[in-house]
Amino acid sequence: MSPRAAFREGLHRVNGAPALLAGTFAVTLVVSLPLAYALQGMIAAHLGSSLAADTAASGTNLEWWREFLSQANGLGTTFVPTMTGFGAVLDNLSGFLDLSRPAATIIGVTVAWMVLWSFLTGGIIDRLARAKRTRSQGFFAACGLHVWRLLRLGVAALIAYGILFRYVHGWIFDDAYGALTRDVTLESTAFAIRVAGYAIFGMLLILCNVIFDYARIRIIVEDRRSAIGALLAGGRFVGRHPAQVLGLYALNALAFLLLVILYAGLVPGAPRSGLSMWLTLGLGELYIFGRHYLKLLFYASQTVFFQGALAHAAYTAAPVPVWPDSPAAEMIGNADPAGQP
Amino acid sequence: MFGRFAALVALVMVGDAALSGTPQTPAAQTAANQQAASVPRSPRNANYAITARLDPGSRTITGDEILTWRNTTNTAASTLRFHLYYNAWRNSDSTWLRGRALTGRPANEPRRSDWGWIDVTTIRIIGTGTAAGDLTKRMRFIAPDDGNEADRTVMEVPLDRAVGPGETLNVQIAWSSRVPRPFARTGAISNYYFLGQWFPKIGVLENSGWNCHQFHATTEFFADFGTYDVRLTVPRGWIVGATGTERDRRDEADGTTTHHYYEEDVHDFAWTASPDFVERRARFEHSTLPPVEMRLLLQKDHVGQADRHFEAARAALKYYGEWFGPYPYGHLTIVDPAWQSNTDGMEYPTLITAGTSWLLPNHTEDPEDVTVHEAGHQFWYGIVATNEFEDAWMDEGINTYATARVMEERFTPTYMARRYFGGFVPWLFRDFPRIRELDGDRLTSYRTGAKGDVQSTASWRYWPASAGSITYDKTALWMHTLERMLGWETLQRILSTYFTRFAFKHPKPKDFFDVASEVSGRDLTWFFDEVYRSSDVFDYGVDMLQSERQTFEGFGDKPAAGEAPRTELRPTQYRTTVVVRRHGEGIFPVDVRAVFENKEEQRWHWDGKDRWKMFVVDKSVRAAYAQVDPEHVLLLDVRFSNNSMTLAPKAGRAARKWSLAWLIWLQDYLLTSGFFV
Repeated sequence: MSPRAAFREGLHRVNGAPALLAGTFAVTLVVSLPLAYALQGMIAAHLGSSLAADTAASGTNLEWWREFLSQANGLGTTFVPTMTGFGAVLDNLSGFLDLSRPAATIIGVTVAWMVLWSFLTGGIIDRLARAKRTRSQGFFAACGLHVWRLLRLGVAALIAYGILFRYVHGWIFDDAYGALTRDVTLESTAFAIRVAGYAIFGMLLILCNVIFDYARIRIIVEDRRSAIGALLAGGRFVGRHPAQVLGLYALNALAFLLLVILYAGLVPGAPRSGLSMWLTLGLGELYIFGRHYLKLLFYASQTVFFQGALAHAAYTAAPVPVWPDSPAAEMIGNADPAGQP
Repeated sequence: MFGRFAALVALVMVGDAALSGTPQTPAAQTAANQQAASVPRSPRNANYAITARLDPGSRTITGDEILTWRNTTNTAASTLRFHLYYNAWRNSDSTWLRGRALTGRPANEPRRSDWGWIDVTTIRIIGTGTAAGDLTKRMRFIAPDDGNEADRTVMEVPLDRAVGPGETLNVQIAWSSRVPRPFARTGAISNYYFLGQWFPKIGVLENSGWNCHQFHATTEFFADFGTYDVRLTVPRGWIVGATGTERDRRDEADGTTTHHYYEEDVHDFAWTASPDFVERRARFEHSTLPPVEMRLLLQKDHVGQADRHFEAARAALKYYGEWFGPYPYGHLTIVDPAWQSNTDGMEYPTLITAGTSWLLPNHTEDPEDVTVHEAGHQFWYGIVATNEFEDAWMDEGINTYATARVMEERFTPTYMARRYFGGFVPWLFRDFPRIRELDGDRLTSYRTGAKGDVQSTASWRYWPASAGSITYDKTALWMHTLERMLGWETLQRILSTYFTRFAFKHPKPKDFFDVASEVSGRDLTWFFDEVYRSSDVFDYGVDMLQSERQTFEGFGDKPAAGEAPRTELRPTQYRTTVVVRRHGEGIFPVDVRAVFENKEEQRWHWDGKDRWKMFVVDKSVRAAYAQVDPEHVLLLDVRFSNNSMTLAPKAGRAARKWSLAWLIWLQDYLLTSGFFV
């Protein structure tokens, strides 16, 4: 199967799973809302009965904002003017690549979200692999069946990504970049070296990423129990289809890039008031929705490609959800006929 | 060597004048055949004839200078003191590096090749009189500020015979130095050299003795005015920029070129050399100000930004010229420093460094802000030559205030920008235009170090981590406060009077304060007591606002027996009570205003001294809101959001809006982290 065909089929499968898309979007929203609510309280408390709130409500009030930041700690320190509009995207992408450390509260919620997402991954990939409704019982049965395997795989991923970010990133961007640019006096030259660093690190990251992606898919599609076995198999799979795997990855990355460019072009910046405020916020949520779509598209297209490479295309192993009987039925079933009155 | 030879010839002609009552200037004499010296604007009591050779291969400078120094004080000098600034980077025990470690921005771990130093190889008094002779063996390092024996940034040389008031001394000094990789302000990276504080420079003798501080991480410099006649030998093909103008240039037989620079009435000399500069020229013209030839030495990456640099320099020359006084030198060299050279944003007489970035959208703060600021230093530092070791606020602070004013006049709007992906990729936030009070006067950074030090403390004693807040930010804020308090016209007259009166002199803080009171016609001592002689912070706020319908309940003047208490409406229906509070220690008189629902307003004036004050007014309408310092005169107020209180607060709406905007950032953050799962 070609990457293009897998991508197209992936689109088809994600489009066919609107509940899945809505559900994952809701999960991220629900995880995020408590912190947003906490921040809302902090902002409201700081503004109090001040007239500064009027301008903050109808537009931007940088003077107040800086004052707030000068007194903020913890969560409040993440509420910076540069998180508005497209700044949010740049902030996060740049922070990801340059390894900037967020506030402890943000790390906490991120870990929680990732564990929750790991739990849901079993159900998500299972649903996308089957390309048919599994209903909530099927979805959660798949989640439950695969969660420990996926978490074991997650530990392996943590180690691999940890090595990449802790050592390889440090080596590329601190040691090598530092040494190569030490006597560079032109910023453009340094930037070219930095871009080369991003390219090298990005390739390693992508390689690592696809191996774990296919290991994850293999665990679910083939009902493999061994995370290590799946990881090795994922590596072998990528090794056998490098061009297609990377081609498919590139198509997905391109879709992400298009979404980001589209958002950059449309998002007006900081929200103002009235209808324009709701439009800005709505556009932001639409972008977040789009990112969920692309996340599922990644899973779906890679799953399609993986299934296409199997002897039986579109094969998906169990689980067929078998629910235990109710305690009463179980008691009746287990009752000794001889012992009956 | 020609320069040295010429200077020596001149000195031979001077003969016994090694120590005499008549000022003799070898440097000026060296140049005498080329141009008659102009009428001195300054005392010209520290004149240098320097020859220096830069060897990029070994990153060294070998130099020779003849200093003609005149004692302008009423005290005899039995010693000479010299700054040897490059020794700040000789080792980690220097006072500079010890101070730097306290700033929270420690320098990168230096490599073996990064260190720099300066060694005086000989020092002798020139002439044929009894005072002449070699003093090399008498050289010693002293540490008048902190007693740090490892610090070698101040050298003292005892004299056989004291130099009396009005007497002149000719001193020849030979030295060699290793140019450091720039720790700050000066040094070399690859084949870019920016050389400031690079030669042995005599301290300033005052009536109380030598004012010759060690080099500290948070302070800059102080020197006497004079003429500089400097010959710089560099590899052929290298472009040189320096204080003053280039008189002539000669190719040497060894593949080098000697550039001859000359300047009068300046108190320092800096230069730069690199084969990679791109040179541009432009001219500043004005109907009432003297023209200025501008020379820009750009990095190749920034060729497209030449106009932005020139426009900024023009703005500084125009506004500073109109507001304070004319720029007299007729030429200005702007150096665009090499990337990561740590030499951006520096001022030297007639030579400044700017600072910009390769990828740069329009309407950013730099390079305009830094260029205006450094060009502005030609006025506040270059011409009005205050002591940066002790009163750094007098040049940095006043200049920060003036820079912000120019930026507001000429380069509005500029927007907040942030650089991503290793600091290379800029993004402009057009929703956040830069605000003069916040960004130009730097209120935001002032808050972080507001209590760091009393401003009247000598600058070199400031706590290193907050020295910038006190020097730059606090001064700009209180200058701007003064502008709002007195009006711009009055403040402008204060500054132009101060500028004119102290041009080419070394004024002290009292000089400025006296001019301010004199010109404004108000005794401003209380103001300077608050902002200069105290580290108190200002924070006024509205503590309470009530506006309630009034009724009368109870008894009148002569209650009759058995009379029941009355309840009746007052003729005025609403009693508005405003309580304002002084949360900070700083005291400043402020206005208090209550605005009513029909837009009518009531004003009171409060001397701001008590901890709180209540104002009551009866009106037929309810109050809408109240403010203390409604015009925001007191820009040093660290919490302005509490300066107002409304009876219809919108905090909930604002908080909902911004937390929802933040929610998008958080969701995006989670999804970006979702790369791993």
